[in-house]
Amino acid sequence: MATAIGVMTHAEEDTGLWSWLTTVDHKRIGAVYTVAGFIFFMIGGLEAVAVRTQLAVPNGTVLDADRYNQFFTMHALTMIFLAIMPMGAGFFNYFIPLQIGARDVAFPRLNALSLWIFLGGGLLLNSSFFLGGAPNGGWFGYAPLSSIEYAKTSGMTFYVVGLLTLGLSTLIASLNFAVTIINMRAPGMSMMRLPVFIWMVLVVAFLLILSLPVLTVGLLQLYFDRVWGTSFFSPATGGDPILWQHIFWIFGHPEVYVLILPSMGIVSEVLPVMSKKPLFGYSAIVFAGAAIGVLGFGVWAHHMFTTGLGPVPQVVFSASTMAIGIPTGIKIFNWLGTMYGGNIRFVTATYFSVAFIALFTIGGISGVMHASPPIDGHHQDSYFVVAHLHYVLFGGAIMGIFAGLFYWFPKMSGRMLDETLGKIGFWIMFVGMNLTFFPMHFLGLAGMPRRIYTYDADLGWDTWNMVATIGSYTIATSVLIFVINVIKTMRKDKDAGDDPWGGATLEWATSSPPPAHDFDVIPEVRDRDPLWYDRDHGIARAAVPEHNHIHMPPPSYFPLIVALGALLIAVGSMTHLSVLGLGAVIAIYGVWGWALEPTD
Amino acid sequence: MAAAAHETQPATQHATTTGIDNRKVMMWIFLASECLFFGALISTYLIFKGDSLVGPYPKEILNIPVTSTSTFVLLMSSLTMVLAVYGAQHGRLGMMKVMLLATILLGLGFLGFQAYEFTEFVHEGLGLTTNQFGTSFFVLTGFHGTHVAVGVLYLLSLLVASNRRTGLGRDRALHIDIAGLYWHFVDVVWIVIFTIIYLIPN
Amino acid sequence: MSHDAHAESHEEHPPTTIREYVMIGFVLFVVTVVELWVSYNEQILGSTMIPVLFVLSAFKFAVVVAMFMHLRFEHSLLWKLFSFGLILGTAMIIALTALFWHDRTDAVGGPEYHTGSTQAEASAPGGAAPAPAKH
Repeated sequence: MATAIGVMTHAEEDTGLWSWLTTVDHKRIGAVYTVAGFIFFMIGGLEAVAVRTQLAVPNGTVLDADRYNQFFTMHALTMIFLAIMPMGAGFFNYFIPLQIGARDVAFPRLNALSLWIFLGGGLLLNSSFFLGGAPNGGWFGYAPLSSIEYAKTSGMTFYVVGLLTLGLSTLIASLNFAVTIINMRAPGMSMMRLPVFIWMVLVVAFLLILSLPVLTVGLLQLYFDRVWGTSFFSPATGGDPILWQHIFWIFGHPEVYVLILPSMGIVSEVLPVMSKKPLFGYSAIVFAGAAIGVLGFGVWAHHMFTTGLGPVPQVVFSASTMAIGIPTGIKIFNWLGTMYGGNIRFVTATYFSVAFIALFTIGGISGVMHASPPIDGHHQDSYFVVAHLHYVLFGGAIMGIFAGLFYWFPKMSGRMLDETLGKIGFWIMFVGMNLTFFPMHFLGLAGMPRRIYTYDADLGWDTWNMVATIGSYTIATSVLIFVINVIKTMRKDKDAGDDPWGGATLEWATSSPPPAHDFDVIPEVRDRDPLWYDRDHGIARAAVPEHNHIHMPPPSYFPLIVALGALLIAVGSMTHLSVLGLGAVIAIYGVWGWALEPTD
Repeated sequence: MAAAAHETQPATQHATTTGIDNRKVMMWIFLASECLFFGALISTYLIFKGDSLVGPYPKEILNIPVTSTSTFVLLMSSLTMVLAVYGAQHGRLGMMKVMLLATILLGLGFLGFQAYEFTEFVHEGLGLTTNQFGTSFFVLTGFHGTHVAVGVLYLLSLLVASNRRTGLGRDRALHIDIAGLYWHFVDVVWIVIFTIIYLIPN
Repeated sequence: MSHDAHAESHEEHPPTTIREYVMIGFVLFVVTVVELWVSYNEQILGSTMIPVLFVLSAFKFAVVVAMFMHLRFEHSLLWKLFSFGLILGTAMIIALTALFWHDRTDAVGGPEYHTGSTQAEASAPGGAAPAPAKH
């Protein structure tokens, strides 16, 4: 499809359903990822509200024990794999090509494939609620809670197959992003001129590429245990449940950084623009991000101090865990240094960014406490850990994602979100977040264990549980306000203009929303903050040549076919071999058609 | 994974930043990922190999001469593969096709040996669930065999495509080269597995 | 002539000739024979057998990667990318086997650790440290 520009019209752009199903445009794929991620975020949030409602008063009767187990497990799986990661992936998709000055990602069709597999995997995982019960063994599925003797429903099989499916999607997406960042940069965009957001995506991509295969092996072993009667994780016949914990956390700890690093990147984009000064200590923040990535592979066993690792491993993993606090601290000082002396605009995106720094620091400090094995032994499996991880994931990852939504919404839609509603929503969310999760510190120290579905009245936990539940409803209100804000904004005319914030990075050098080919002329990068450099040196944007033919990849339905095949393979592995075979045939047909499809 | 290997998107309109084709960069990163996949399987094997509560134990059952032959077969397939790449790069299409076919046949030969080995083991009383050695052995070598099978399909599709009127097109050498990277990697993984399982049995 | 010069102009060929490829294949074959000999003659090599085998298979690994996968002639970036996975995978195998090996020996030596002295023998007969069935 050759698009002659110079005529800046979107009239030929197709908007029908088929065009969305066959799209290979990174912006459309990114938008679907973000919207789907937000819908899953609300589903996971409702699950959390149900859990909190059950725990509001002693001996609650809203959920029975079995349903409670399903709800807290699905809450975690949904938030991690179906909400935070996809919303991150939405930003990656949308803004990697725009920020590095490319017209699309390296493999547009693979990009579509990862989207469809993700949607299929998400539906598969959630369908378990209606097909005999959802996963109920916690998001880390420790054996024997995940083994066939103790988890007799198909829930944990859904967990295995669902995570394998989502893992495939994530691996494909990560490979695509890594190659794009390495190989598709605009002229002059050296690695040390990359926006920090892009650097963090690169670290995240490599964390996933190198840790997902380990989880894949663990899940396959669990699948063999559950379906074919092997005993990888059951000690009666020589297996070892501790092996699952090692394998899971070799993936699981890098995964924690996968969740937080994108938000760190977003905040590193928002704060310089809103403070009107360049990021303080760019190289320090980049190297700290890379250091977190490397060290993140060497700390997994701190999740397992109470399994009796022995003194030497405890010391090693304790030291490496403390060490990872150093690069994290560097980043926090850099963000503060960026704001210091700046001409700060307190818009909603700034609010969320500053809240991110404060709340993430609280979560980081309660996290590094657990680097000490004796303290970890006291906190293990208590509500203190729940408080810690929610300060990092809600106070950190989610606050960062909201900062990104407010910052980039004008670019994605051409419209500014309502600032007043945004600020009201922010304060309600900020208060609700602290109401919900801060009391959990007290509950944990008072001895309340995680994952219990009810508790007795005389344990001294009543007050703080009630406060936390009120907090969860407060958060739900703030999310509702955000949804209203989005609906209201989408109804008004486009008012954002190309560059509403006076941004420094390349995505602000094109229209809002950007045309299908992103840039009329690929920009040339002369500085770390290219737009500010060009503005300060009076360099005008390159003129569009008169006959500017840009070839964009044509739409393709093969990603959809391959994804359908993959999904049928997943379903077949839980039902019948014939379904699996059908899926394999469809997938192979799709791959063959894909390989022969002309792309010029 | 097969989908990833078959990606044939033309790189871009302009040259890539590093000068290396996108597909090649992706294959190397994918192979880095595969190192961790096999690393986890090999770790499991090493952890469990002494934990069998009942026999047969590795030393009693492993047939070194047979597996050495199949190892040799896989090694030779690497040689034919590299010659196929040579043929593709130097425009010697006849050589490329013959060597691709030879690689496919050698790969099938390796899979045949593996099928024979698995059947023999089951006859001698070592099944998937017999003991920890059996479990971790079959899962490790089974997943390696799956990789070989995917490689055979991959090469077969290239052989079929190269016989079309248009052949493999402009990027012929690159397609064969990238398939070769995958194939050689599966071979080097077997070098490690062969040493760990067969040469150091106790 | 099917040689398409344009298509291959930006594709650097490894300089290896067919003859050299066959020679490399032969070397790999010879090393495999040596490995087999080593494996069958444990009594001669004793405790050096395992290190020798690892060196030989690492050599084969390196030759295939450097020559057959022509990493030697490629942009250094590819080598760096691959080494991430190779190093991390190797480190993981070492760390996991060490953790589980440690697990087994630690429990046996447990009383010694807890008493912090050589009185381990005194406390051991009490059955304080039964060798665990697993880990």
